[in-house]
Amino acid sequence: MQKTVKIPLKNFQQWMQQLLLDPYQQTGFNPGDLLSDQLNAASIEDVICHSEKLTAQEHLGIYQRSYIARLRNCMSQQFSALEYALGETIFCAFADDYLASKPSQNYNLAYLGADFADYLENNRPDAPENIKEDWIDFMIELARFEYAIGVIFEMKAEEDYQLATIDTHENKLKLVPICALFKFSFPVRKYYSEFKNEKQPNLPSESESYCVVLRHQFKLAIYDLHKEQFEFLSYLKEQNNIAEAKELIKVQYKENTLLSEDVWNSWKESWIAANFFQV
Amino acid sequence: MATRLGLPNLGLGLGLRSQHFEHILKKNPAVDWFEVISENFMDSHGRPRYILHQIAERYPVVMHGVSLSIGSTDPLNLDYLKSLKQLATEVQPAWISDHLCWTGVLTTNSHDLLPLPLNDESLKHVCNRIIQVQDYLERPLIIENPSTYASFNNSTLPEWEFLRIMTEETGCGLLLDVNNVYVSSFNNDFDPVEYIKGIPHDKIVQMHLAGHQNCGNYIIDTHDREVNSQVWKLFQLAYQLANEASVLLEWDGNIPSFDVYHSELLKSKQYMDATFIGVENEVRFMDKEQVSNPLNLFEMNKFL
Repeated sequence: MQKTVKIPLKNFQQWMQQLLLDPYQQTGFNPGDLLSDQLNAASIEDVICHSEKLTAQEHLGIYQRSYIARLRNCMSQQFSALEYALGETIFCAFADDYLASKPSQNYNLAYLGADFADYLENNRPDAPENIKEDWIDFMIELARFEYAIGVIFEMKAEEDYQLATIDTHENKLKLVPICALFKFSFPVRKYYSEFKNEKQPNLPSESESYCVVLRHQFKLAIYDLHKEQFEFLSYLKEQNNIAEAKELIKVQYKENTLLSEDVWNSWKESWIAANFFQV
Repeated sequence: MATRLGLPNLGLGLGLRSQHFEHILKKNPAVDWFEVISENFMDSHGRPRYILHQIAERYPVVMHGVSLSIGSTDPLNLDYLKSLKQLATEVQPAWISDHLCWTGVLTTNSHDLLPLPLNDESLKHVCNRIIQVQDYLERPLIIENPSTYASFNNSTLPEWEFLRIMTEETGCGLLLDVNNVYVSSFNNDFDPVEYIKGIPHDKIVQMHLAGHQNCGNYIIDTHDREVNSQVWKLFQLAYQLANEASVLLEWDGNIPSFDVYHSELLKSKQYMDATFIGVENEVRFMDKEQVSNPLNLFEMNKFL
């Protein structure tokens, strides 16, 4: 016969949530303590009914399994390239540990992976070693990039602007509102794009790379950059003025011929065609 | 007394899924209305919200939430409500719905629609919060019965009785998810027909249909396949008792082409006829247990 128990709603919810978040009591916290003040309520069977087909624990188990499966699924969608790079088993181990250490606080699942790259950085498997493993650095960079792409996709920005044309005077060129620059120690953009295009990229070796992510009319575009282009566009983002950005590049490269007018004109032409600039 | 709270019968609707955006915008399919997952758009300032604005200009839209957490003992999330109201101002939905459930406490969000013990304390708690939300949104809230996988020893009210009192106390409407009734009845040993007969029929504004996964000893509300014949039979009864309501087919996993999704919805026309005799079967699926309930996360591959 099932017991009749009276448990305040607040205690009940804390108890059930604890059993979902920490089903194996790895944190050392006993959910039963949340019910200890309640007469006759000490176990799962005291709170959850059994049915004709399932025990109380089996009923609870459906929620416990679906909690982690649902969030793993979301992490897998948010970090699909990283999951491919790590392999499903290792990715799930990291994702489970991340979710256990930092349960979701936001109703919006888009934020679920907000701290995943930091988590990977702070929980490197090679932390005790003096010599660090390259592949871990790559995974952290890839995680940061994948999450950033999601943020750029959803972010609020002015959309009602006029694109520059080849006839626009260069003094009037301004970067479009969403223009995010990335610098990597690995060819992250290349790896990410190959994965998204259903190729099967191998883990890359260390090699600096740069890219820009633009959003125009709500669609994203990603372009590779040379180091000098990245630096020029970084100056342009800071100064919002072509002449000043050109000047800063000239100072940085000590007046060598890096940014000759020919070079600049070829950059300008391709960037205008690729919707880098508004008027 | 006005049935459906005076809200219109929108006809037969489909869930708006990102996989179908392009098809809908290009083909303008003959669907009566679309239901959107509120959280997919509330904080989005990118392409999904832009597309929703275009669709809302062409079709009636209803906003369906998964994160209001009306049963939680945490305070109501005012940021959430503000964002929900802002989206409603832009989209002008026919109504706003969410579930009789809680999603988390102590600021944690489980992203699941968790069941409540059904007793006087939870009833009073839920009613107070529905009234607060309705005051804030300046419109009645439409509450859906959830699919449940457990019931509690301290429940003292059957769910249909809880819903009846809740609608009387708050003036809210009901979103009757017929599949959820079937899933919960299977999992928790109650009679789904008694449930359907026991709810206040004049408060049913909308109905949900969906597919589920029968795992033998329990059923998961997966929304990833066709509607089961037992659920169609319950729908047939509910539709007669409600004397019409807006009907929506949910499909959130293994999402098929738009035309397949639409043709499954159109089967509901047959079951609106009380004399129609459908085929009866309940199939057990021995494949891997699937995840229940909708996930509000877009895949961005389509937008790159």
